[in-house]
Amino acid sequence: MKFLSRLSLPLFVLFVYALLYLPIIVLVVFSFNKAPGGYHWTGFTLAWFAELFQTTEIWVALQHSLIVAFSAMALSLVFGIMIVCSMKDYLRRIAEFFYLPILIPEIVLAVGFLYLFSFLKVPFGLPTLIVAHTLLGLSFAVPLLHARFNEMDPNVIEASLDLGASAWRTFLWVTLPFLRPAIFSVGLLVWITSFDDFLVSFFCAGSASQTLPLYIYARVHVGITPVINALSTVTLVVSCLLVTIYSAIRVKLEEII
Amino acid sequence: MQRIKKAFLSRMAYFLACPSLLWYVLFLLLPLIIIVSASIYSRGHGFSLISYRLVLTTAHFKIIFRSLFLALFNATLCAIVAYPVAYFIAFRAGRWKNALVMLLTLPYWVNFLVHVYAWFFILERDGLFNKILLQVGIIHSPLHMMNTLFAVGVVMFQVYLPFMLLPLYVNFEKFDRRLLEASFDLGAGWKQTFWRVMMPLTLSGAKLGFFLVLGMSFGDYVTPQLMSGGKSLFVGTVISDYFLINRSFSIGAAFICLSALILVSMMGVCLAGFKAAAKGART
Repeated sequence: MKFLSRLSLPLFVLFVYALLYLPIIVLVVFSFNKAPGGYHWTGFTLAWFAELFQTTEIWVALQHSLIVAFSAMALSLVFGIMIVCSMKDYLRRIAEFFYLPILIPEIVLAVGFLYLFSFLKVPFGLPTLIVAHTLLGLSFAVPLLHARFNEMDPNVIEASLDLGASAWRTFLWVTLPFLRPAIFSVGLLVWITSFDDFLVSFFCAGSASQTLPLYIYARVHVGITPVINALSTVTLVVSCLLVTIYSAIRVKLEEII
Repeated sequence: MQRIKKAFLSRMAYFLACPSLLWYVLFLLLPLIIIVSASIYSRGHGFSLISYRLVLTTAHFKIIFRSLFLALFNATLCAIVAYPVAYFIAFRAGRWKNALVMLLTLPYWVNFLVHVYAWFFILERDGLFNKILLQVGIIHSPLHMMNTLFAVGVVMFQVYLPFMLLPLYVNFEKFDRRLLEASFDLGAGWKQTFWRVMMPLTLSGAKLGFFLVLGMSFGDYVTPQLMSGGKSLFVGTVISDYFLINRSFSIGAAFICLSALILVSMMGVCLAGFKAAAKGART
């Protein structure tokens, strides 16, 4: 009995992980399934992968997604670092305010963007997407960078200034290296948020600038599409590879940058 | 000269803060103000509360309370499930710890939409779940699960659980394990240790996770849209219908304001609940 109760927690954890991974496993399995729209296993095929690589729409959408994700990441990091370094203690009182875009349901933000851009008669497209995703990105970037900046000993900056380094040089050689780990994690977070975002993009992308999630939605909401399964399998393999490579070279990478 | 330079530099400091502040004012505050004002002003009617009169119907309240109930249920369930898991990862996992944390984030590289889509394969009439149940012999004819509240709930739970797990895990990570041992050594049982030691020290993570899951489930669009076959039964889908299909902006805006008001007051109630829990644990 005691053995059972000791085993129950690991079993529970295993069950929760199984639940988390169940959809992905099913998706991957069915990306190799012959039947074009069914839930029955009818045989192994790689046809959906071939179709995936031949569908140009997907690659155009991926290109759009990448442009938006990298621009939003760069903008939120630069703006975030700028405000964190300049406001210092003043920011402490209002730092929590910056979380607001995460706490407001995304649909409200999306409707807000739709309203604003049509009110100002701005044409919808990649620029509006970048602007919108930068707001989402800032909601992580400002509080997290601020938290890291707060851990910094202000005497270090004073020392650097006293020893004759200019403000700019101090920023480059003292502040920025200290912020580096936060910059890494914030950058990743913003990138993924933007790359994965559907709802805000759905409302303010316009018809000419379809991103990857918008493409997926357009295909998925009519029913089963094995190409989407193949796409998810590829995404999963690529991200597994990236995570493995990253954890293998992380130490070296952080030394270089 | 030196003083001028210094003054310029300190002004410069505020200048550097401008882009972020501009973004928040222009793309967050301004749209919110526009939405609120659109709900009380329209070109046809001028200033009037007519949109609110159209929104205050039983049908709308049903939708709001259905979403609210589901979101509350989901957030609570996530908290209950996440506590033991976060505890296990932080204290019991040993050398598997890093792998388990990484496995928590890995699914998020695959798009959120695709997660929802994957549940088609599991919950459909001839999907995985029905097949297993039929095989085992628990049921004799396939259950109808798609397009039900159950389907929406299950998917939301799976998709939003990590948003509860990660903040809780971060809290447990900082938690000094010796406190638990001290509590046990001093004669407290599991129940007492949980309520008096563990819960108060991890409450901030639980709170963050709870409000994240609550807010996201309440306004979710994708899950109800895909899982309930396009019938607009939840707040997110109704809002988008007003804006994208019906194009009745002022009614949509009024509906947003009403549901936001209800959500915020619910969050206030929950916050008071958390405060009471923390206070109860102290005495």
